[in-house]
Amino acid sequence: MTLTIEMLFPEIANLYGDNSNIEYLSRCLPEARIVRTGLNDAPQFVTQNVDLVYLGPLTERGQLRAIARLIPHKARIVELIDSGTHFLFTHNAMECLGTRIVNAEMNYDEPGVGIFDFSTEVGMFDRYTGKVMGNFDGVSQPVVGYKSQFSMVSGSPEIPGFMRTTRGIGRNPTTHVEGVRRNNFIGTSLIGPVLVMNPHLTQWLLESMSPSPKPPLALRELALAAYDARLREFHDERTWSAFERVAD
Amino acid sequence: MTESSVPLSGERQGPRFGLRALAGVWMGKCAALVLRLIGREGTHVPGRIALWVCPDLLAAIARPETVIVVTGTNGKTTTTNLLADALSALGLSVSSNLAGSNLRDGIVASLIGGVNIWGKNRRDVAVLEMDERSALRVLPQLAPDIVVCTNLTRDSIKRNAHPEFIAWILTSAISPTTTLVLNSDDLITVSLGGESNRRVFYGVDPTGDESSEPSGSAVDASICPRCDERLQWVFWRFNHIGRVRCPVCGFTSPVADIRVSPVDSSTGLRSLAINSESVSVRLANDSIVNVYNVAAVAATLDLLAVEPTEIGSVVESLTPPPSRFADETIGGVRLVRLLAKGLVGVAVSRAVAHIVSVPGRKVILLAVDETTDRFDGVENTAWTYDADYEYLADPSIAAIYVGGVRRHDQALRLAMAGVDPDKIVLDESETRGADLVPLDGIDAIFNLHSNHNAVSTGDAVHGKLRTRLLEMSS
Repeated sequence: MTLTIEMLFPEIANLYGDNSNIEYLSRCLPEARIVRTGLNDAPQFVTQNVDLVYLGPLTERGQLRAIARLIPHKARIVELIDSGTHFLFTHNAMECLGTRIVNAEMNYDEPGVGIFDFSTEVGMFDRYTGKVMGNFDGVSQPVVGYKSQFSMVSGSPEIPGFMRTTRGIGRNPTTHVEGVRRNNFIGTSLIGPVLVMNPHLTQWLLESMSPSPKPPLALRELALAAYDARLREFHDERTWSAFERVAD
Repeated sequence: MTESSVPLSGERQGPRFGLRALAGVWMGKCAALVLRLIGREGTHVPGRIALWVCPDLLAAIARPETVIVVTGTNGKTTTTNLLADALSALGLSVSSNLAGSNLRDGIVASLIGGVNIWGKNRRDVAVLEMDERSALRVLPQLAPDIVVCTNLTRDSIKRNAHPEFIAWILTSAISPTTTLVLNSDDLITVSLGGESNRRVFYGVDPTGDESSEPSGSAVDASICPRCDERLQWVFWRFNHIGRVRCPVCGFTSPVADIRVSPVDSSTGLRSLAINSESVSVRLANDSIVNVYNVAAVAATLDLLAVEPTEIGSVVESLTPPPSRFADETIGGVRLVRLLAKGLVGVAVSRAVAHIVSVPGRKVILLAVDETTDRFDGVENTAWTYDADYEYLADPSIAAIYVGGVRRHDQALRLAMAGVDPDKIVLDESETRGADLVPLDGIDAIFNLHSNHNAVSTGDAVHGKLRTRLLEMSS
């Protein structure tokens, strides 16, 4: 079976090297069809089934453009999430699906697509950069990554997260809950790119998308060596700064 | 000459110059004197002390009649140097922070150097390099006559986020009376300023070798600013540098007022078109980066009412400062040392693109990381996926020796870029590769390192390779 991966708005959602998430999936799934949907194109997921919908990091104006394009398809996105379609929204892409985004410095307070009950506050002079390590339900090995962002997400801890951090902050500095997960929707602010940095997570995603036959992990030895080296570093308490801790 | 040029002589006293400002000037001058006596110059310290005494000194201090600020992601230091040299060659006295910091403290320090002990201006013109993120702390108080912006491309993910953020900072800080000198081939730079700002554009004409399809991960101007449609490239150079047009609404890159032509292969000359006039020039350095810098200088000189023939003579005399680059041939093998700024993917992209452009069979010693970032924060390695390592998936690359803490990350990134994993050799040591790399049948060796390990690794690897090549050739 040929899998279809739809990248939304790659001409604007392409920061921080994060599109390598999809490059890595395509290396693991050489037969997969990668659909690149432009900002002025109709998303393929609206009329056809796709196996994964991906949206990557955006500028602040890019977020507003993406929201405007996705709002008309809110019901369809909810339908796909509920039926188990895979989604991966990385960095601030996830924020587009919340209730609103407030950016005081750029002087706007705009509604999001409104699928998830969380809101985002953007501080243009308060960029946060930190490491993250935590547990993702479905993979026994820790997930690792980086945050480098202007925004913090606030929402009820009851909204299931992508992971629970054991080191580093979650959606904001007061919670260990990072990102959002509903069925096979994964939203995370982690960059790295997260799939390249986390071969075990990628293996889980591959097997979830294609249970049989199970796709092999591309560049397995190199990916595991890089992951293991980072895990050793992240397990070293001395590599963590005070600002990378959750204010319990 | 561009209409309504900017005056080049006289003095402007800051509106709030009083005793406190004078005390700030004195303290800054004393600090500069002490630093000179102990053999340290060009630091930000005099400016910091002066601002401690008088926090609004930047607005209060007397400055030359013409104040020019040069900013941008790449080329601002070189352009500042070239512009200051050009104005000096025209017989003007210039205040500049050439040897100092490009943050607010360094800019204040250089302005203090340009006034006498009574706070009176002694210079004709100030040419000040400014870190683009410092704009909000500098421009509102300084209100320069001219801001030159060389380009705005991706930089540190941690510090600069993305070029649209930097453009927003600059636009928020630029005074409505400031004239902007902008690179017309950079769609993000041309968006700077507000409706009232006067703009002068400069550009570099295509050679015909450019592509019409962008490649690489850092193309930050892909959609039409009017209608969001995907832009078409009239020509594309690198990142988002080139000329665009929108197939739907007709939007195009602005027409440059000052243009530099490609080199005429028969004469070695370029045409420097300044509005309706044109002069022939021979540049000391024909790299595209330098040509853009020279075009920025020419556009600024035109704005200052310098005659086109004089601009032509001056830009021919300009020599770019030495780069962080070394290239020599020993026994028929080129040994090239490149400082590839870690954390900045586009800088590494340019370095690896240069490597592949060098003819012959090549090996690379790669020790690029920013592990020192861990000492005061977080080293974020995501930048490697913003660097176009794909250039290195080239049959002319025989081997890549990767050393250091980030060797596993770099190896994975290289393999993701399509480099054959069998060509990648890993070593914990950043320098041992220089002992191990086979030199037989190799035409060029590249030593890539970062800033923080320039001495410990860059020098050591360079020394080892030179010794081996000299032994081979003797």
